[in-house]
Amino acid sequence: MKWRNEQWLRPDLKRYKGLLFWSLVLGMLTFICAGALMFTSGYLIDFSATQPLFAAIYVPVVLTRAFGIGRPVFQYLERLTSHNWVLRITSHMRRKLYRVLESDAAFVSEHHQTGDVLGMLADDIGHIQNLYLRTIFPTVVAGGLTLIATLLLGWFDWGFALWLCVLLLAQIVLVPAWSLVVDKRRKLQQKQLNQTAYVDLTDSVLGLSDWVITHREADFVAQATAAPHALSQSLHASARFEWVRNFVAQLLFGLIPVSLMVWVGQYWTQTAGMANWVGAFVLVIFPLDMAFSGVAQGIGEWPTYKGAVMRLNQLQPTTRTLPKQLPTPQEFQTLTLDHVSFAYSASAPELIHDTSLTLHRGDKVALLGPSGMGKTTLLQLVLGDLTPTTGQVLVDDTPVLAYQEQRNNLFAVLDQSPFLFNTSVKNNVRLGNEAASDAAVAKAIDAVQLTDLIAQLPQGLDTPVAEAGFDFSGGERQRLALARVLLQDAPIVLLDEPTVGLDPITEAALINTMFTVLADKTVLWVTHHLQGVHRTDRVLFLEAGRLTMDGAPQELAKTDARYRRLYALDAGMKG
Amino acid sequence: MIDKRLMRLPGMNRVLTMLAGLALVQAFVILFQGKFLAQAIVHAWARKPMAGLWPFIWAFAAAFALRQAITWLRNAMAEHAARRTAGDMQQQLLQHLFALGPATVADEGTGNLVTMALDGIPETQNYIELILNKILNMAIIPWVLLIYIAMQHWLAGLMLLLMFPVIILFMIILGYAARDQSEQQYAGFQLMSNHFIDSLRGLKTLQLMGVSKQYADNVYAVSENYRKQTMSVLRIAMLSSFAMDFFATLSIAVVAVFLGIDLLNGKVPLYPAMVSLILAPEYFMPIREFGSDYHATLNGKNALSAILAVLAKPVAQPSQTGLTVGPWTAESTLSVNQLDFRYGDRQAISDVSLTLHGPQKVAIIGASGSGKSTLLNLLGGFLQPEAGTPFTLNGTALPHLAEPAWQAHLSYIPQTPYIFAASIDANVRFYQPTASAAAVTRAVAAAGLADWVAELPDGLATRIGEGGRGISGGQAQRIALARTLLDEKRDVWLFDEPTAHLDIETEAALKETLVPLFANRLVLFATHRLHWLNEMDWVIVVQAGRIVAQGTPTDLAANSAAYQELVHKMRGEFDEVAE
Repeated sequence: MKWRNEQWLRPDLKRYKGLLFWSLVLGMLTFICAGALMFTSGYLIDFSATQPLFAAIYVPVVLTRAFGIGRPVFQYLERLTSHNWVLRITSHMRRKLYRVLESDAAFVSEHHQTGDVLGMLADDIGHIQNLYLRTIFPTVVAGGLTLIATLLLGWFDWGFALWLCVLLLAQIVLVPAWSLVVDKRRKLQQKQLNQTAYVDLTDSVLGLSDWVITHREADFVAQATAAPHALSQSLHASARFEWVRNFVAQLLFGLIPVSLMVWVGQYWTQTAGMANWVGAFVLVIFPLDMAFSGVAQGIGEWPTYKGAVMRLNQLQPTTRTLPKQLPTPQEFQTLTLDHVSFAYSASAPELIHDTSLTLHRGDKVALLGPSGMGKTTLLQLVLGDLTPTTGQVLVDDTPVLAYQEQRNNLFAVLDQSPFLFNTSVKNNVRLGNEAASDAAVAKAIDAVQLTDLIAQLPQGLDTPVAEAGFDFSGGERQRLALARVLLQDAPIVLLDEPTVGLDPITEAALINTMFTVLADKTVLWVTHHLQGVHRTDRVLFLEAGRLTMDGAPQELAKTDARYRRLYALDAGMKG
Repeated sequence: MIDKRLMRLPGMNRVLTMLAGLALVQAFVILFQGKFLAQAIVHAWARKPMAGLWPFIWAFAAAFALRQAITWLRNAMAEHAARRTAGDMQQQLLQHLFALGPATVADEGTGNLVTMALDGIPETQNYIELILNKILNMAIIPWVLLIYIAMQHWLAGLMLLLMFPVIILFMIILGYAARDQSEQQYAGFQLMSNHFIDSLRGLKTLQLMGVSKQYADNVYAVSENYRKQTMSVLRIAMLSSFAMDFFATLSIAVVAVFLGIDLLNGKVPLYPAMVSLILAPEYFMPIREFGSDYHATLNGKNALSAILAVLAKPVAQPSQTGLTVGPWTAESTLSVNQLDFRYGDRQAISDVSLTLHGPQKVAIIGASGSGKSTLLNLLGGFLQPEAGTPFTLNGTALPHLAEPAWQAHLSYIPQTPYIFAASIDANVRFYQPTASAAAVTRAVAAAGLADWVAELPDGLATRIGEGGRGISGGQAQRIALARTLLDEKRDVWLFDEPTAHLDIETEAALKETLVPLFANRLVLFATHRLHWLNEMDWVIVVQAGRIVAQGTPTDLAANSAAYQELVHKMRGEFDEVAE
């Protein structure tokens, strides 16, 4: 990856340049003050030992105090400024990540499901924060200090200044580079092991009932601890390397005061006046240790950060070619599938074969069929999330693809697991129509028969949905989502197995409510069994991408043996 | 200051004593490093010959190197002890989870426990290392240096001594002020990161509502809001380390000025003043290092508490009777007498009595939350009642059924059976790792998977589960079934709503496979789907943790009002249509 094409670090470095500049300057000032405190103190003591008049030491006394106060003050300001900068950048990065994922919103869970990719991407932004705070800022500050120290010493003795520059560069270039070379593969391996450990342990714990009834305790512990143990070994190897590295780095750093002592012993002892600077030049170096010792550690973390940066850069916004977008009509008469076929690619199997179907306004249609036989694909085609390979989906005479921009005026969807956001009940319902009044929200809640339940909540409609100690059951969540759909007030409602996983009593009640409140809508209902099907006008059976049964439920019950068999099975009669 | 619970860990006392000894040695090495440095400066200041400076430089270098070497040694010793302790703790934790069983683990939250075992353990290790290093430093090094400084210049020593409690005091005061705020901030942080991940996970819902585009600005606004909150908290939270730095550096400055004035007046020679100035920063170093790691210690402490809390949970002990359980035959019986069970404050099962004998097929029905799963978990031994001996197995009274001999006969198939991230073969062999390939093929065929497996390019070696090939709910049930069939001694089958997620045709096909296999086994089948009752010879109706009716299906249908009412509700509209 070229820096020129980098999308996640480069653009942000140009934002809030003032804050960025000041964080770095304040970082340097902190250490300049720390060094200057020891410098002036050393001079003060050496000079005082010559017993001059008090007035002569007045300036070093004042400076000593000023630097003593300056160091903590600058450090405090530096921390605030750098955090402020990083947090501002974070807000931009979050919005950017959201936008990239939003471009593929209809399929975001399908495309990012294994493990928790979404959580991982959110963590990657955290890694970039640390990259700035722990690696980039300290390295730049240490580099700046090296430059300043070299220039100041160069004023007196260029040869010695160069030697000192070499020693300081060893701290910010040589040691970190060594660290990277030795530990890079180990760091990547640790990341891998950490993931393995997570998967293995989750696997073991979720399958615990099977381990328990087989009494394989030793195997269970062995499987669950294998990866953590390897990880611990690897971390131990890293720690061992860090001890050696830090020891060597410190010995190299120790060369600096030793060199300084030799240098002052020769250079600063020519006159008694010059000798007063002996302590100052030796002591100045000790507080700077802190500026350099963190650099190797910070740069050593680069492999971790690099992974995060690479992963974010690999995300590309999804673009789709759609026809010219039209405003949605006020009313519609028919929703037509005209010889629609669909496959994900030319080589992929065809999921929907040449299907034609017409729904009239107000129709209630149930779509049945075994799972994995194309029901959800058909809904995605109707919505326009997918483009048919051949044929088209029409609302009256206009392709549904031309209505994508304002699609929510035409279609509302209630799916298997509607998402409730971690905000109040009211805000969750209002997502359906942000302009809805409180009265309209209350009316929708009432229509889905949640008024009593909401009245029991500590803050009524303003209660956060994830409030500790209170959880909505599956049926209640679906009702909340249904209230959302009611507020949205779109003429066509698509129900994608909303009752899956509910017990039959809850399911029967929810179906009842759905059909009552959606009486004036056009409903296409995907379901996996026959509870409630008699409330529809028409039952479709989709198998292997083809409609194999089509008729009014009462009619099918009379004429279709298979329908009768399934109905009897589901109703719990002798089948 | 030192966590007493740590001292109870095996071997910790010895390590602590050795490390304390090393810290003491290091304190003297630091002292000598400062002393030689001061002597070198005094020597150079007096403009004595360069030859005389070299011994001091060499001595300083030696002390400096020795100090670093001791740091290395101490780190290695502390890490070794901490790693061993944390590793043992991880092992214990997992053994304990195993003993607690799946029901308790599910109750604690799988994600929570996995995080504890993976992140909590390194945090604990880090905590132990910090205690062994930073706190020992603070307890030993400053005081050795202080005594020496006071011997050189008592006023400087007194000054530094007085500063120590002042720093501690300000740390505590500001620490308290910051703590409340930082707890709020932590809560805010959770809210923020949840909000962001929430927005990503709920993207599809936002898109369906047509608001996903404009929501991008909401993401930004919430994040900015959080930034403002965080900054206002940081302003206070960072005051604590500011105060520590402020007093430490200021007292070095003040000591320098004191010393300067005494030198000016000729009250002290240069060496004592110089060595005091050099050692003053070393005196404050341990407390500053401790302050910067303070938050890490808090995390470690919380992690340790959480782990110890789980380890303290009591586990069921198998009875000492040396119970043996033979194959389940027509003579076998299991009776339950007045069984009670509570989850914390909630009474989950009350006064349940029932008798199972021989190869019976028993359905357990009831509304959601009525206690069906709890009852199955108690019968499987995954949960244990608090008191009494409510179970009698083949004439032996037992306090609970967490008995290896009983569980060796069990098979437990839940709504979504767990599929391990491994090959189909390994998944099927789970109960019988040493079974022959022919036996696996037979079990796979009996579970109705033969055709599916034959179509797979890798056959039985196909990897399934997390990261492997996706399988449908019906296939998962069949794999669990094959797993059970492979182990022929498993003749007591517990099913917890196995078909709740399946579409009606998949369920019908699975039923055709299952029913013939029920023969000669004890089957307990919790379900919502009433058509299964046709295959059962006993039905237990559970309501609010109690058995409200039990009997044969025909008997209950004719005579039990509770049964009739439940069935009517479950059928819902099916009945309306029939009428």
